[in-house]
Amino acid sequence: MIAQPRIVVTGLGLVTPVATGRRQTWERLLAGANGISPVQSFSTEKYNVHLGAEVHDFAAADHLQNLDPTTLGRASQLAAAAARLALDDARIDPASLDPNRAGVALGTTSGEPLEVERFNDRLVADQLDRVGDEFIRLYPCHMIAAHVAAEVGFAGVNTMIPTACAAGNYAIAHASDALRWDRAEVMLAGGADSFSRITYTGFARLGAIAPELCQPFDRDRKGMIPGEGAAILVLETLERALARNATIYAEVAGYGLTCDAHHMTAAHPEGEGALRAMTAALNESGLHPDAVSYISAHGTGTPTNDRLESKAFRRLFGTRSKRTPTSSIKSMIGHTMGAASAIEAAVCALAVAENRVPPTMNFRQPDPDCDLDCIANEAREMPVEVAMNNAYAFGGNNASVIFRKCHP
Amino acid sequence: MKPPQATQRIAKRVVITGMGLVTPLGDDPEELFAALCDGRSGVATIENFDTELLPYRQGGEIRDFKPADYLGSKNLRPLDRTGRLAAAAAHNALLHAGWSEEARADHTIGLVLGTLFGSVHTISQFDCRALTAGPMYAKPLDFANSVINAAAGQTAIWHRLPGVNTTIAGGPAAGLQALGYAADLISSGRAKILLAGGADELCYESYVGYHRAGMVCGGTGNASSTSRQPPRPIPFDGRRNGFAPAEGAAFLVLEEAESARQRGAHILATMRGHATTFDPSLATDETAASASLSRAVGQALAQANCTVDEITAVSASANGTVRDDAVEATGLANALVSRTDAVPITAIKSMLGEPMGAGGALQVATLVTSLAHRTLPGIAGFSQPEKAVTLAGLSAETRKLPQSRTSIGLATALGLQGPSAALLIEGGVDDGSSHHV
Repeated sequence: MIAQPRIVVTGLGLVTPVATGRRQTWERLLAGANGISPVQSFSTEKYNVHLGAEVHDFAAADHLQNLDPTTLGRASQLAAAAARLALDDARIDPASLDPNRAGVALGTTSGEPLEVERFNDRLVADQLDRVGDEFIRLYPCHMIAAHVAAEVGFAGVNTMIPTACAAGNYAIAHASDALRWDRAEVMLAGGADSFSRITYTGFARLGAIAPELCQPFDRDRKGMIPGEGAAILVLETLERALARNATIYAEVAGYGLTCDAHHMTAAHPEGEGALRAMTAALNESGLHPDAVSYISAHGTGTPTNDRLESKAFRRLFGTRSKRTPTSSIKSMIGHTMGAASAIEAAVCALAVAENRVPPTMNFRQPDPDCDLDCIANEAREMPVEVAMNNAYAFGGNNASVIFRKCHP
Repeated sequence: MKPPQATQRIAKRVVITGMGLVTPLGDDPEELFAALCDGRSGVATIENFDTELLPYRQGGEIRDFKPADYLGSKNLRPLDRTGRLAAAAAHNALLHAGWSEEARADHTIGLVLGTLFGSVHTISQFDCRALTAGPMYAKPLDFANSVINAAAGQTAIWHRLPGVNTTIAGGPAAGLQALGYAADLISSGRAKILLAGGADELCYESYVGYHRAGMVCGGTGNASSTSRQPPRPIPFDGRRNGFAPAEGAAFLVLEEAESARQRGAHILATMRGHATTFDPSLATDETAASASLSRAVGQALAQANCTVDEITAVSASANGTVRDDAVEATGLANALVSRTDAVPITAIKSMLGEPMGAGGALQVATLVTSLAHRTLPGIAGFSQPEKAVTLAGLSAETRKLPQSRTSIGLATALGLQGPSAALLIEGGVDDGSSHHV
C-alpha cells in the first residue's frame, strides 16, 4: 500500500451573476448581493416569468490570452475566463507546468445551448444551408473542457462530465481522483453553463421558476431562477502546494456520488440518494456528521427540493440538523446549472479558509418542513473546520463533496 | 485486519464479466463478431428520417429496433431513442454478466456512459416546438430528456442502478474515457460493479450537422461544394472521403476481480491500463494531435506494465475521416515503432459506421471476442494504403491471431478536436476456465 496524496484547493476563478473574480464575488456574496434581474438575452414576452440570473458586462477578451473569444461558444468563454482567473489566483504560470501532467475536468448541464438554438432557428426558418461547420465545431459540450485546455495549454487528462446540475461536483471529484492516482499533477476542475432559452423554457414549463424572488427554505418559496456562470478550482497535491508555498484554501477531504434511480426530474421522496451521497462523502473523509460546520445546500428554492433536502439533513444529522449552519447562495445568483456546484465549492473553500459563511437571502418565514439554521439574510463569522457541498440533478444524480481546513 | 483508511491507495484488479450491445449488425457480441469477420456492412440508405433534402443518405442505423424486446411491456414513453438504445444495451450487458434483477438487488451497481450529444434530436424538438407554437407549448417530457445525462439517468431508473451515475461527453473517444473512468473507480475501491460504455442515436439534426461540416462520406470536406463522390467510409484507406454517421449503444460490465471470482462470474478479460490525453492545438496541428495519441498509448502501456511487443491486436477508432484517420495512423505507427513485426489492426467503423459514444465499448467488445477466438476482423473495403503514412498491420482480410494462452488488446480513439484515449485489455482463449485472468 502506498500512502495516498492529500488534495488541496489553491486557486479559485469565478464568473458569476454578482461579480467576476474570487475576491469580488466573495465580498458580494457575503454582502447579500442580488444577481437576479429581468432577462435580457431573449424576449420573455410569451412566458409567465421574466427573471433570470445573467452575467452582465462580461467580456471574455479581458481574460483570454490565447484563444479568440469570437471562435468560442459562451459557456467556453465563461469557463476559459474562469480558468485564467483561477491560475492567476493560484499564482501558477501555466507555461511553467509540464503540459502532459496538467489536466481539465469540467461539468455542465447544457454545454453550448446557444449553438443548438442558432441551429434550431435556421431549422424552423428552413435555412439549413446557412449552417456551416460551427454547429459541430462549437456545440458538443466536451468543447468547453477542450477550449479551457487549449487556452491554457494543458495536454493531460481532459474530461467533460455533463451530469446536469450536479456536474461541477462530479468534475471536482474526478479531478481529485486524477491527482490521487497520479494521472496528473495539477487539475483545473469546475463547471460552466450559459443562459439559455431552452433551459428557461423547460423550467418555465415545469412551473419551477419563481416569479419575483428566489427564497430557499422559506415557507413561501415559489421556485428557482435560472442563471449562468462558471467556476474553476485549481487542485493539486498538498505536497506540491507546500513545496511552492501556495495559499491553500481547503483540502478536498472526500466525496460521494449516487443515483436515485427513481425519477428523471423529481427527487426521491425520502431523500434516499442525497443521504447516501452525504454519508459516503463523510465516510471517505473519516468524519462523523457532527463534524460538519457548514453546508452549502443545493437549495434551489423550489418547494420540493428544499423540503426533501431538509428531510435528508434530518435523517443524517437527527435533531442537530436545526443547528448546522446551512445556506443557499442560489438566493443571490440563481441556479447557474452546471456551474452551480462549482461556484458553491468555491464558497465552501473560502468559508473554510476565512471562517465566514454567506447568507440565504430573501428569507422571511420559516417552514416547518425545512427546520434549518439557514443563515438568514446575513453573513456570519464562525469557525468553519468542515464544509459540505451538496448538488442534485436531473437524472437522479447526487453529489456531495467535503472540504476541510488544511492542517499540513 | 483493520478496514482500509482513506489515505491508502489500493489498486484492485478489474475484470470484464459481461457485454451488451445494440448495433446495426446485431445485438449479440458473437453475432456482431461473425458479421465483422464476414465483412458485412451495417451502413445503408437511411430510412428512419427524411433525407430528401440531404445530398447523402448513407448511415449505420438500427433497423427495426424494438425496445420492448429488451425492456418488456412497461411504459417506454419517458425514454427517447438514445435512452432506449442505452437501456436495451444495459439490459443485455446485465443479463450476459449474470446480474438478473434478483441477483443485483443487494448490490450497488453504477453506470458510466459516454456520448457525444445525448439526444440532440430531443433537444431540438423541444426548442423547435417552443419556437413554432410558443414556449408554453413545449413538452416537459422532452425537457427531462434534453439534459445530456438523460440516457444514463433513464437507464439507471429502468434497471434500478443506484450507484455512481456519470456521463462523459466527447466524440468517438468518450467510450474509452468512460471505460477508463469506471476502471479507476473500481480499482480504487470506490465501486465494485459498473456498466461502462456509451450510446448515441442517428438523427436528422446530427446528420445535418455532420453534413454541413463536410464530414459525411462522399463529401469533399466542404458542404457548399457541389462536387460529389461515391461514399467511401473506409478507415485508413487512401481513397476515404468521410465517415458514415451511425448509432448504437454498448456497455461492458466491469467488476472487481476477487468478488467476480467469488460469485462465479465468467471472466471475459482483464482491464490492464488506460489513459486519456489532449492536444491543446484542438487537432489543428496534425503532428501534435498524433503525438497526443502516441502519448496515450505509452501511458496505458506504462500502467499495464506492458511493452509494445506484447500487443496482440489493435482496434482503432478510424472511421474514414481524411484528417483524423491520418492522425490516428501516425500516432499508432509512432507508438508501435519499436515493433519489428506488424501488429494486426482492425477498424470496425468500416462496417458499423461512426456510432460516436457507443464506439469505444464496441471497439473493446470486438477485441475481447477477437482475443477469445484468436481471430481479428478485417477492415472492410481496405485496399489502398495511404502513401503518406506507413502503418503496417492493416488488411481487408480477417486474420488469425498468434496462438498464445493470453493476449493483449489495444483500443485507441481520437475524439473530435483534441481528446485521445488508449485502453489495454488482457484476454484469452475461452476454454471455460477463467484462471488465466
